[in-house]
Amino acid sequence: MRSLVFALIALLTSLAVQAADPIGRVKRVSGSVWVDRAGQSLAVQPGMALQVGDRLRTGADGMAGVTLADDSLLTAGHNSQLLINDFQFNTSTHEGGMLATLSRGSLHVVTGLIAKKTPEKVNFKTPSVVLGVRGTEFIVDVPEGRE
Amino acid sequence: MKRAAALVLTMLLATLLAACAQLPERVILLPDAEGRASALQLQPLEGAQSPLLLNQAYAQADLVRGELRSGLSSAEAVQQAYGPLLAMQPQRPRTFIVHFRTNADGLTPETAPVLAQVRAALAAQAAGELIVTGHTDRVGSPEANDRLSLARAQTVRELLAAMGVARELISVAGRGEREPLVPTADEAAEARNRRVEIKLR
Repeated sequence: MRSLVFALIALLTSLAVQAADPIGRVKRVSGSVWVDRAGQSLAVQPGMALQVGDRLRTGADGMAGVTLADDSLLTAGHNSQLLINDFQFNTSTHEGGMLATLSRGSLHVVTGLIAKKTPEKVNFKTPSVVLGVRGTEFIVDVPEGRE
Repeated sequence: MKRAAALVLTMLLATLLAACAQLPERVILLPDAEGRASALQLQPLEGAQSPLLLNQAYAQADLVRGELRSGLSSAEAVQQAYGPLLAMQPQRPRTFIVHFRTNADGLTPETAPVLAQVRAALAAQAAGELIVTGHTDRVGSPEANDRLSLARAQTVRELLAAMGVARELISVAGRGEREPLVPTADEAAEARNRRVEIKLR
């Protein structure tokens, strides 16, 4: 009986995880790319759905291109770590906000529909700087050896 | 002797590490797809420096010992340093439009073949997905138009699914009367605004 209850709880928990809204998808992958999620490190394939709290990591040979739900395009270069701290987007009103942190590596950004409506709600962080977006395309580079 | 060599090596390593540590964090503002530069505001997390505004194409900021320094990069320099990164960018979204008859959720016949184009374009794109967004004109209340626009999007999803497009690759949204193609007065009927936009990305 007890094991049945545990099985049921496990099932419900996995359903809850699956039900989390994807905030975007990895579209392009080359070399080694992982997503750290809930203490696990998952190998990334093109098409993989992303969630708030995911940390995208690329190896020395790895690069990845991501399209978020508001059409933002994020491309991570070699040896990069990008955490999606926060992302909300309402597809009816286009209200929302996002924060992402590049702790190392390089990142190319094309901002999307949130930045079009409320650019002040779109922010990126590095170890030393906060970037406030005013509707934009840009590159951020955090070389290795800086912690 | 061995010890001296090891020491030199250590010093070399230390020098290399120091050189690495001196590579600055860098931000470069690029022109957008239409060639316009927009703007970025940079705020150091520590120190008392006021924010630095980048608002010119290829404006560059380097963080050196806690301080932001502005400079200017160029298209060539960016290509040289970041060419492979730029080449890895996902496909920009493309939009197809189909139109609806007044107050109904039926497609106009002229635009039905667009759905076949959408299916072909989706099949040709790796990890592609469709975002189907309904729109209305300004006849009726905003709330009713929210519902109608979502119903239109759902109709298009069903049509695409019936054509063999995998349902899990299609998400729907209703924008109501918020985003007219042609601005009108309230309660004005406007066929061009009664539409569904199908975005492939």
